[in-house]
Amino acid sequence: MVDQKELINAVKETVSREDVRYIVGYEEGTYGFETAPSFAYTSDDARKFIFNPLCTKNLVVYPILEEKLPLKREEQEDDRKIGIVVKGCDSRALVQILQEKGLKRENLVLIGIPCTGVVNTKKIKDKFPNQTEYTDVKEEKNHYVFSIEESVQKIPKKELLADVCKECEYPNPVIFDILIGEETEVETEPTYIEVREFEEKSLSEKWEYWKKHFENCIRCYACREACPLCYCKTCMADFLDPQWIRRSVDLSENTAWNIMRAFHLAGRCVSCGECERACPAEIPLMKLNKVLEKEIRELYDYTAGLDPEEKTLFGTFNPDDPEEFIM
Amino acid sequence: MKDFEPKIIGFLCTWCSYAGADLAGTSRIQYPSNIRIIRVMCSGRVNPMFVVNALQQGADGVLIGGCHPGDCHYQHGNYQARRRITMMKKLLEFLGIEPDRVRMTWVSAAEGRKFAQVIEEVTEDIRKLGPMKQVRRKNEW
Repeated sequence: MVDQKELINAVKETVSREDVRYIVGYEEGTYGFETAPSFAYTSDDARKFIFNPLCTKNLVVYPILEEKLPLKREEQEDDRKIGIVVKGCDSRALVQILQEKGLKRENLVLIGIPCTGVVNTKKIKDKFPNQTEYTDVKEEKNHYVFSIEESVQKIPKKELLADVCKECEYPNPVIFDILIGEETEVETEPTYIEVREFEEKSLSEKWEYWKKHFENCIRCYACREACPLCYCKTCMADFLDPQWIRRSVDLSENTAWNIMRAFHLAGRCVSCGECERACPAEIPLMKLNKVLEKEIRELYDYTAGLDPEEKTLFGTFNPDDPEEFIM
Repeated sequence: MKDFEPKIIGFLCTWCSYAGADLAGTSRIQYPSNIRIIRVMCSGRVNPMFVVNALQQGADGVLIGGCHPGDCHYQHGNYQARRRITMMKKLLEFLGIEPDRVRMTWVSAAEGRKFAQVIEEVTEDIRKLGPMKQVRRKNEW
């Protein structure tokens, strides 16, 4: 569990530094079990900062989403640092962006938080459907503790933990400037059990499953917007010439979009689960990301987002890569 | 019912596979006419979305031809293509689309005979798989 005071003090200290512009973190949301991103420009703003198992969002999207207005005459660009509060997976997404030279390390201050897993907010909402005010959740050993209307409820961690967190290998930030709290012990090796089970099915069964899901896709591109690694200035899905994907929402185009999205994250996805969380049609997008992650690990012994100096998967090659299928 | 004749799109690299196809032609070697060849500068030019778009727009199979490993005119284009196409095939298989619809081959400029054999083999394989059903684009208006 992260000490709230320690976090606030660290943010206060960092944001009062002269070379730091603002810090992105979490604050209490306005509805139910949601947390909201919070921006601290002064040390006073840091009071609002929290961290609990409800902080699911990946804040790494913010330094990239930030709109840069054209400079006025004789105006200097504000090149002060941006601070981000990062969990394990967020820091890996950042490493991946640094690898691809999307951001510069010297422009960032990272406040690392060793994570013990975040909750699946959809599951909580099913359990407490009538909760409209922000409710805090605390973690105690293997339980989540909810205090709702003066009654305290304990729910086992297993029931509410997000699926991606169950097999998390890197709960501790890979890169950080300040670490808050103690590092979490890593227990699990990923087994990819869900993906392996699905792979056993026949081709037609698999297609039936995906067809059902892709027909529901409304192509809102929420998966793209939430993903910290989908930061191309112009997405291929928005191109008109060549038009890789037509605008019409039907099975063929939806499949093409989902293939493209998954493929563009091959060897880059860090399994933060933001795409699946953002999806209003509840398409199991992480399954696609996970199967590619598994294959890449088996074939090329490569894991995304660990070393900022490493080269990207598709930017490198090994002459001895497997090629059984080539005639 | 008429026998099914598959349509196959071939992305052939201009330095090896396309020259190999040319040699097969000038040597008067017979091979099935199911392949429609698109010349690309390198197999590394083949964006995996080319494959998906071809399958959407009427192809039953896609063949990507490149130089033998180590022979690439651009040093390593075929190595990079190999990684991409491997992952694309894995993804298609996971989605329930027959991965054998996407084939890759190394044909050098001297291998006209091999080119004809590859086309025969691919055509037969795809004839067995039948027409592409899953992601075919509907042109209804």
